[in-house]
Formats: sequence, C-alpha cells, structure tokens
Amino acid sequence: MSRDLVCREVVELLSGYLDDALPADVHAAVEAHLAGCDGCTMVLDEFRQTIAMTGMLTEEQVAPDQRDILLAAFRGWSLT
Amino acid sequence: MQAPRASEADLALVERLRAHDEAAFIELVEKLTPSMRRVARMFVSSDAVADEVVQEAWVGVLKGLPGYEGRASLRTWIFRILVNIAKGRGQREARSVPFATLAGEDLDAPTWDPSAFDATGVWSTLPFDWRGMPDERVTGRETLAVIGRAIQALPPMQAEVIRLRDVLGWSSDEVRNALDLTDTNQRVLLHRARAKVRAAVEEHLRSVHT
Repeated sequence: MSRDLVCREVVELLSGYLDDALPADVHAAVEAHLAGCDGCTMVLDEFRQTIAMTGMLTEEQVAPDQRDILLAAFRGWSLT
Repeated sequence: MQAPRASEADLALVERLRAHDEAAFIELVEKLTPSMRRVARMFVSSDAVADEVVQEAWVGVLKGLPGYEGRASLRTWIFRILVNIAKGRGQREARSVPFATLAGEDLDAPTWDPSAFDATGVWSTLPFDWRGMPDERVTGRETLAVIGRAIQALPPMQAEVIRLRDVLGWSSDEVRNALDLTDTNQRVLLHRARAKVRAAVEEHLRSVHT
C-alpha cells in the first residue's frame, strides 16, 4: 500500500489485522499507523479485549433466538 | 488460503469411529449437533426440517467416513456435508434465503459512525476508553450478558461466524470452509460482528462508568 492510512480506514481493518488476515502491505500500513496513533491503538485494545470476553461465553449463552431467524426470513421474503 | 488439515486428534478419532467405537460417535454428535442445528436452520424453514437435515448429515458422515482422507479438519468436513444438504433442502422447499438476508445488508458500508472522524478521516470524537476501569467491572457477568445479546441480535451468518470463531475458537479457515464462505466474506462478516459487539460493550461500560 503506497499511501498512509487514516483512522477512518484503520478501524475497518483491525479485526483482520488481529487475525493476520490482511495482505502483507496492508498489514504493514496498519502497523505503521498504529505506531503513531493512540486513538486507533486504544480501539485495537478494545477489539482484543472484546474478542477475549466473547471467548468466555458458552455456546448456550449465544444461541439464537428462533424468532430472529424467522424475522430475518420474513425480511428476505418482503424484499424479493 | 489452504484449508486446515486434520489434526492428530481428528485422525485418532476417525480411527475410533472406523473401529465402531460407539462412545466416540456419541461424543462427537453431542459436541457438534448444537452448531449444526443452528447452521441448518439458516437454510430451511423450520426446526423440524433442520433436525432432519442434521440427521441426514450424520448418515452422510458415516457413509463418507471410510473415504475421509484428512485433507480438511474433521469438523470442517462434517459441516460441508451439512451445508450441502441444508442448501439443497432449502432450494427444494423454495425457501432459499438470499445471502444478503443471512449476511446482513450493506456489507461494504462502514461499521463506524462517520461523524467520529473529521473531513480528513482523523478521529474527532474518540470512543469511550474503558482501559482504566477495574477488570472485574469490565469482564463481569453484566458485560458478558451484553455480548451474548449483541451476538443474538446480529444477522444469522454474522452471528454464526462469530460463534464458531470467537466463542468456540475455530480457526478462520475452518469457519470459511464449514460455512462455504469466501475468504473475503468470512473476514468481512467477522469484522462486522466484532465491531457491533465492541460497540455494545463500549455503550454498556460507558453507562455504568461513574
């Protein structure tokens, strides 16, 4: 990536950054931005902690509400 | 990216299954059935049909097991069988939920409120910084409940990706393979799910912070 990233772009890349899922040049650009940006570094910490907390939940605690699935189907139906 | 191959544990388990070890089979069924039922339910119209799909998938697993070569992890391979059956069944039911409905609208839209940034894309309003709060407050039961509700409120495919990846600890490649998603879709769905969960946590912690 030849240009520098701005905060608005970096926040959309943090999940991929944490998973090592970004192309090498984008990963390097995020890293370079984080080194000079306290705000984005804070958001990265918050993502990291959110992911760790999500891992403390059990499967039962995040089981879907069947009603939501029906509603999703209904929305799809009304759109088509 | 290449699919993760079977682990040693997978291969050992397959050996036990091939040797007709019933306890091993029951353990596997009990472990995977809740997520299989949820995934099947995305593609078909009722819980009853989803249960049939899961049953059929297990029959397919038993049929395919002699030929399983360990090129994908065992659970990935099982989910591929499941998703194929569920999609076929959904099509026959003429249900076939559009991907956009399962995945959520506007996958390309920003997850962050644009007004948090100035015209050049630099922060103008930073999110709430909860790092100074006591740990027991941050990771307490209330926050976990907020996360659970936030996940339940996600579009079905976003919810399933974050469940498999962050709650159950599957690798990104396993999730992508199991749910038959492209690399990019998997990454985008997970990012959107995590961004919404992070925002819910932020809102909660801001409200209890004094």
